[in-house]
Amino acid sequence: MKFVDEFRDAELGRVLAGEIVAAVEPGRHYKLMEVCGGHTHSIYKYGVDDLLPENVELVHGPGCPVCVIPMGRVDDGIALAEQPGVIFTCFGDMMRVPGSHGTLLDAKARGADIRMVYSPLDALRIAKSEPERQVVFFAIGFETTAPSTALTLKRARAEGVTNFSCMCSHVTIVPPLRALLDSPDLRLDGFIGPGHVSTVVGARPFEFIPVDYGKPVVISGFEPVDILQSVLMILRQLRAGRCEVENQYKRVVPYEGNLRALEVMSEVFALRPHFEWRGLGFISQSGLRLSDDYADLDAEQRWPVPGVRVADPKACQCGEVLKGVIKPWECKVFGTACTPERPIGTCMVSSEGACAAYYNYGRFAREREVV
Amino acid sequence: MTVVRVDAERMLALCEDEDGARSSVEIALVDPVRPGQVLLVHAGTALA
Repeated sequence: MKFVDEFRDAELGRVLAGEIVAAVEPGRHYKLMEVCGGHTHSIYKYGVDDLLPENVELVHGPGCPVCVIPMGRVDDGIALAEQPGVIFTCFGDMMRVPGSHGTLLDAKARGADIRMVYSPLDALRIAKSEPERQVVFFAIGFETTAPSTALTLKRARAEGVTNFSCMCSHVTIVPPLRALLDSPDLRLDGFIGPGHVSTVVGARPFEFIPVDYGKPVVISGFEPVDILQSVLMILRQLRAGRCEVENQYKRVVPYEGNLRALEVMSEVFALRPHFEWRGLGFISQSGLRLSDDYADLDAEQRWPVPGVRVADPKACQCGEVLKGVIKPWECKVFGTACTPERPIGTCMVSSEGACAAYYNYGRFAREREVV
Repeated sequence: MTVVRVDAERMLALCEDEDGARSSVEIALVDPVRPGQVLLVHAGTALA
């Protein structure tokens, strides 16, 4: 397929791996964070880390939409789903994220009408086909997904669909990155920037990283050749003493982003004063709510939700994994009590979660090393 | 995803993924599209 196959070229990958080896300075250890869960998935699916020299370490960031949803927010969703007459809709991964009293799938088993959708447009379609029921869409994700929710809410309004509403849990990528950079736990040399978020927001929002923190950023595509090239671009910046935002994913990401998407988001959403992130705690101005103009489509205005903060299970170390402080296999319950079939933490739920990616692909490589 | 058919009035396109699965895609955020074009689609909306 165009734009895909050529970026999975094994020979090109080997050439880039050789150039990476040539670009590293002997005796120096490099710690690079891939911000996006899509990158984490690709890195382990294609064995990208096996092609890197030992002194180039990839650290996983907080960019998995499902992973960062705290338990209390799942409880809020279940409370809405259990309202009489409500059809609660969400993405498939979200149904398996544990709250304090089980998952949305458990609530469905108890009788709540919870349905998996691929897009908010699917949820709106359900609302139009069942006008006597109230349909709630559980909106999660970063700036990549938020435009889709915004357009659907605009469409609901334009088509006069009044039985549709949204539980908005969208988040933004810059505040958690700033929180990570301010964290004393973590020393990073550079960032593999989030490709699809950048399609919407552009490259400009990441300029604070080189300007304020002196770290290079390369916005990257998601195929193995994209990631290897991005690693090489970061290493070349470090070697040359440069520090800037570069765009490896030019075939998709314009420097200024998608202005129409930004416009529709600013119309439909407003920043929350603070929002809780799993493992990272409350971060100022990092979450979105519906704007006052769209408050009538806000599910949390139609029904009460508990809104209670719930601590993660003690055994779960998703927070440390999301901050890149530990690797998934260093978590006490990884692959034993916590597996993709029976996840304790969010990072084991989604295919973009670091733990699930390691479990599904990386752990085999580690087993070979141990043997 | 590859564009199969366009409903410009409703700002929707029927698109096909790598595996041949088809779905409706919002096209309000991208320049006018035509059949055969490849789009980056996220949660049912074309972003590029």
